[in-house]
Amino acid sequence: MINQEAKIREAFTQTRTELPETGNPQSAIRNPQSNDPQSAIRNWLRGRGALLTGAGLVMFFCLIAVFADLLAPYDYSSLSRREPLAPPTTIHFRDAEGRWHARPFVYARQLLDPATQRYEEITDRAYPLELFARGYSYEFLWLFPTDLHLFGTRAEAGVEAPRVYLLGADIFGRDRFSRLLMATRYSLFIGPLGALLASALGVLIGGVAGYVGGWTDAVLMRAADVIKALPTLVLILAVRATFPPGLSPADAIKLLLILFLMLGWADMARLARGLTRELRQREYVMAAVSLGCSPARVIVRHILPGAAMSLAAQTLILLPDFLLAETALSFLGAGLQEPEASWGKLLADLDGKIFKRGHPLAEFSPALVLMLFVFGARLLGNGLGNEGREREKYEWSEVETETKEGRKKEA
Amino acid sequence: MLKLILFRFLQGVMVLLIISFLIFALLTRAGGDAVSMLDNTRSSNETIESIRRIYGLDRPLMERYQNWLAETARGDLGHSLVLQAPVWSLIRLPLLRTGMLATVTLLIAWSVSLMLGIAAARRPGSLVDRLCSVVILLASSTPGLALALLALALIYSTPLMSVVGPATNADAGVLSFRVIPPAIILSVPLLAIFLAQTRVAIREALDEEFVRVARARGAPEWMVLLRHALRPAAGPLITIFGISLGSVMSGSVVVETVMGWPGLGQLTVSAVNTRDIPLLLGVTLVAAAAVMTGNLAADILQRLNNPRLRNT
Repeated sequence: MINQEAKIREAFTQTRTELPETGNPQSAIRNPQSNDPQSAIRNWLRGRGALLTGAGLVMFFCLIAVFADLLAPYDYSSLSRREPLAPPTTIHFRDAEGRWHARPFVYARQLLDPATQRYEEITDRAYPLELFARGYSYEFLWLFPTDLHLFGTRAEAGVEAPRVYLLGADIFGRDRFSRLLMATRYSLFIGPLGALLASALGVLIGGVAGYVGGWTDAVLMRAADVIKALPTLVLILAVRATFPPGLSPADAIKLLLILFLMLGWADMARLARGLTRELRQREYVMAAVSLGCSPARVIVRHILPGAAMSLAAQTLILLPDFLLAETALSFLGAGLQEPEASWGKLLADLDGKIFKRGHPLAEFSPALVLMLFVFGARLLGNGLGNEGREREKYEWSEVETETKEGRKKEA
Repeated sequence: MLKLILFRFLQGVMVLLIISFLIFALLTRAGGDAVSMLDNTRSSNETIESIRRIYGLDRPLMERYQNWLAETARGDLGHSLVLQAPVWSLIRLPLLRTGMLATVTLLIAWSVSLMLGIAAARRPGSLVDRLCSVVILLASSTPGLALALLALALIYSTPLMSVVGPATNADAGVLSFRVIPPAIILSVPLLAIFLAQTRVAIREALDEEFVRVARARGAPEWMVLLRHALRPAAGPLITIFGISLGSVMSGSVVVETVMGWPGLGQLTVSAVNTRDIPLLLGVTLVAAAAVMTGNLAADILQRLNNPRLRNT
């Protein structure tokens, strides 16, 4: 008998293992150890490494998307018959005679054997690389017409300079690097836009469902369940097939966005509904209702601000799904048409033989870029979600302590 | 339980009706049927019109939809315009193959996430636990498309090619080792969701009083885990299983196309590329129906696992 009691006690103490103290970033700001601004910043940064890495990556990709024209040395759709499937250009500092040069240069190349795509450098003449070289014309930031590009080679008196292919050329002799940059611009336009539109619709539907409740709630949430359970990509493909194959890029984008809007709101609606139902119980919302605010005003002015952080985080968490859906569609040939570039279209050029051709990294670069961006977006989304939860927790604990203190004073 | 099945069945039929009508309605607006894919320079307008008439494509929308609906209700999904065969005969084998792929995928995702999740939940903050966090982050942020392309390249450059390499429609049975690489790729995003859920659910279950009592009674640790912790933890896991079926089906479209597993996903893509509308309708509806059946199965499992839910 005693033995058994001891066993029970032992089991109790065993299972009561404390969870490890997870770093609470919020407490660091609220209770700074010193008033030194530097240590305050350091405190703020602590535990936010993932968030900042994610934000940095996403920012980096946004900059690339904005300045894609400037960074790209060549027009993404211009063909070069002379160099199909050319490997990446080697950038030299040392010429054939063994002399070193301060300015990097490239050699022209010629195709040795069209069957195996072997190229050889012609070392007679060096073409120096230059910064801010002239190339195709475009509008910098969609405002200023210019033809300056970050780098390139200069054509001199009658001799056409060889193109610099940082990542090689595709089967039509188009510069893979330039195509990758423009694809980043396109993919980063349509993915986030789709996520934003679908999230807005989701917040609207979820907010109404959570606020009104009853039958409306039941019907809307059943619809959300059904949509969440459907094989979305199959449906998008099926609808896309009912349109003619050669849609213009603008029409293809519109169609894709409409489909995203129709099939993508369910996740967001679930979250928005939950948050609305929770926030409805709070004193300030009930106060607004009892003051006679219209439901629309209560939702927009009183409930949405409280839920904003979580909703924004959820949008970011959902963003990769939309981006990947677009990528998959373009990959399967149901998105953009040639010669437009998107990450999915670039991936469609890959096959199983990238290791055999000897430039796996250059060929695989679109996939790596895609992975990196999705990784960054996930880090940022998760980080923002944690921030939102911490803030909510803090606000609640503050309210609780305040009321407790108030009660104490009253007593 | 019977009410649930009946309700879900009616709901499913309604959803299928809506989807099929949507695709039908879109078709009449755009001239995107298989006939318009014919070489228009060589065949005269009369020929094209007569082909349309033979297949009934010149009839008004509602009449065609009614005809199609009546045939489908009788179990006849129609005739493929491009492959010239009954749609159902074209779908049957790929459906089994995709079912096989989904099963192997789920098995991999379950077994790995259960092993890692239990190990992590037993010792919070340990090396395994932190490793799990890394696995969850990486797996959730790795696009299946990129991973599939990489895997394909790896398979091509190893002697494994003849055993697990891409299969063609002719040489792939339903049971084949070739299902393993696509299944592994497809299980990666699932692993992230499953593992995150398993870890939390089992950790919570291990904190319950009945687990303490079981330990106090002197039950061996494996028994505590399997009988007392796993069962309450299975609830959220089954829910997740139901929700993720749709994404498995979507993911299989990409992975099957890249890795060469001739299932429903590949068939969908080829139907889209050839504008084979009867086949496309059939594939879409069968895919949607399969996913909804899986969802229903998840709900029934849920009720079998948790008696408290049975009367709701």
